[in-house]
Amino acid sequence: MRAVPKIIAVGLGLALVAGVSGCSGGGSTDGKTEITWFKLTESADSANTTINEIVADFEKANPDITVKVEGRAVDAHKDALRTTLGTSGSPDIFFSWAGPGLGGEFIDAGASLDLEKYYDEYGWADRFSDTTMSTVTQYGGHDGVPYTQRTEAVFYNKELFAQAGIDAAPTNYDDLVSDAKKLKSAGITPFEFGGTVNWHVMRLLDSLLETKCGADTYQALVTKKASWADESCVADTYSEFATWTSDYVNPGFISINNDESGALFFSGKAAMALEGDWFNQQVRDAGMAEDSVGIFAFPTGTDRIYGFNENNYISANSKHPDEAAKFLDYLTSAEAQKKFIATFGSRSVNVDVVPADQNAFDAEWNPIVAASTGVYMNNDQNLSQSETTEYWRIQNLVATGELEPSKAGAEFQKFIDQE
Amino acid sequence: MSTTSTTAPSRTSRTSRPRRRLARFGSTGFIAALPFLAPALVAYLVFVVAPALESVRLSFFEWSGFQGAPQVFVGLQNYVRIFTHDPVFWTALSNTVIWVILSLVIPVGLGLVMALALNRKIFGRNLFRSVFYIPGVLAPIAIANMWRWMYNPNYGIGVNLAQLFNLPWLADVQWLGDKNLALYSIFAAFVWQIAGTNMVLFLAGLQGVSPDHVEAAKLDGANRWQVFRNVVMPSLRPTTVVVVVLTIINSIKVFDLIVGMTGGGPAQQTQVLALWSFQQSFNNHEYGSGNAIATVLLVITLIIVVPYMVWTAKQEKNS
Repeated sequence: MRAVPKIIAVGLGLALVAGVSGCSGGGSTDGKTEITWFKLTESADSANTTINEIVADFEKANPDITVKVEGRAVDAHKDALRTTLGTSGSPDIFFSWAGPGLGGEFIDAGASLDLEKYYDEYGWADRFSDTTMSTVTQYGGHDGVPYTQRTEAVFYNKELFAQAGIDAAPTNYDDLVSDAKKLKSAGITPFEFGGTVNWHVMRLLDSLLETKCGADTYQALVTKKASWADESCVADTYSEFATWTSDYVNPGFISINNDESGALFFSGKAAMALEGDWFNQQVRDAGMAEDSVGIFAFPTGTDRIYGFNENNYISANSKHPDEAAKFLDYLTSAEAQKKFIATFGSRSVNVDVVPADQNAFDAEWNPIVAASTGVYMNNDQNLSQSETTEYWRIQNLVATGELEPSKAGAEFQKFIDQE
Repeated sequence: MSTTSTTAPSRTSRTSRPRRRLARFGSTGFIAALPFLAPALVAYLVFVVAPALESVRLSFFEWSGFQGAPQVFVGLQNYVRIFTHDPVFWTALSNTVIWVILSLVIPVGLGLVMALALNRKIFGRNLFRSVFYIPGVLAPIAIANMWRWMYNPNYGIGVNLAQLFNLPWLADVQWLGDKNLALYSIFAAFVWQIAGTNMVLFLAGLQGVSPDHVEAAKLDGANRWQVFRNVVMPSLRPTTVVVVVLTIINSIKVFDLIVGMTGGGPAQQTQVLALWSFQQSFNNHEYGSGNAIATVLLVITLIIVVPYMVWTAKQEKNS
């Protein structure tokens, strides 16, 4: 009888060990190699379905490899990466934004494997444009494989523009200001923004910074090679920003989020929205007539387009880097990308994949992208997390009239200097 | 001989004191109770004390929070930083103090008044008790969402009231966007959430007030206020201690409502210490600063709560 508890104890112990083993990331089961991929859960179900199809296609072609996809919401994904990278629980592949403020911190922590060997083996350098490749090599090695290249521009309601007597999208900044005045005079809210998610209003501030300072100074400022206190264009930027937020943005924007402000655009109460290529699908989902909405690049006058990149990285301590690289090779192949771009946006990171059967609304992005000579990135990706928090605090102080625009640059520089 | 005779009792006294203490310790039943307390004690040490000590330790280090990233000892630098350089810390501290003071006055007072009112035999008493208590069982983040919708500047309750009563200025009030108003707008939701819970605690306490004492006071000629002041309130002292301590602790660590309604904005004007500690650690990857703020929060809590509990214990003993 005494043996019974011992047997139970041994059995439970083995079960526990087996359970714990099952918890670790990746591994070999049934002679197959399992690789794990931490990624964002897409907001559109169709996009998640596409990912599952691509994974299934890969597994069919590679019966010795299985891909375990773990999708999470944005903040949960960041938490998962922070707590698992560098440990035995880290995934083989992880998604991240490529800018130094987000993905850069993971790379600084040594969480990413240098993929130079795989770039040579698969010839990836020829697969991606110089712009997307620059996000891979910006940290000195070959970190990550391009996943998406997001572009942002101004969506406008053609009917509201016509009501205000505007017959064409603005092509320079002065025209944009003039159009905003006309819209306001016609009783229409020119621009919608949601302020509780600071990154939404930040898009306006970033674009004004590019407009007033130009591309070179913008880059010098965000890389801290120029002083925010000394560049006169910074004060001009904040002054313009204060004017926009007080006169041309939906009243009360500071206390609503981007979803609530987006409803103003979809319901025809606001004429413009500064959004990315993901917004085309949202316009469709909201039931707006596609031909009633146009897109134009924020007229900064620099020929750079607003946007950011997202990459997939292989963990530095992955036990299956070859299999992971093989999957990323398939994910960015022409075959998979044709499926991918149908639901993820209008452009592929693979230069050989040109959208087929593109409708007129999605095609509005083509001339905008073709006309751009570079990218100015969202500043929550350029700056460190603590700098971004301060950048947003100052942005909101100016927007609510609590800080004089002329003092905003010095206030931000003071924070940078004290770091 | 005389020396021996005088020192011997003294030595005996010194050596026997620990024994007496031990005997007293045993006589309290602590040792007998230890096996029963042990599981909870171990859980408390592992899940409360150890993380708290780890948090204090991390406040002396610079660390990004990434596994494998080095933890660099920086001494008191994080404390110097939050007290002198952090542009948000003092706003967060000030807001936390305001929140605690208001919490001790409004929801506690309101809870007591509701309890006194609903301790009488009135029509619909149980219904009112339930209605007032229900907000206390809702998830704070759900309450935050609900009140955020009510405060929405485009279709919230202010806009509707403005139309109903022809008060256009009401539609322009930025409940969560005005830095002078936002904190108090969130606090209104907190009162709605917590007053019913205080009411239930006071109601429970009121059941312990002896009707004979109340009757005797009335016979002695005491008016309503005198009965409340000299009979009811002293009987409610243990309950009041619980309510006050819980209120202080809950208000010092207020977090979810602010996250859900403003996220600390606009421009960090509704920031509080608990949320700023979290954001410094998890959003800004500044675990040293975040834990320094958490340690300050812990010290403030102990400074307020411990003397209050000692004082009330003495009052209880004296009475």
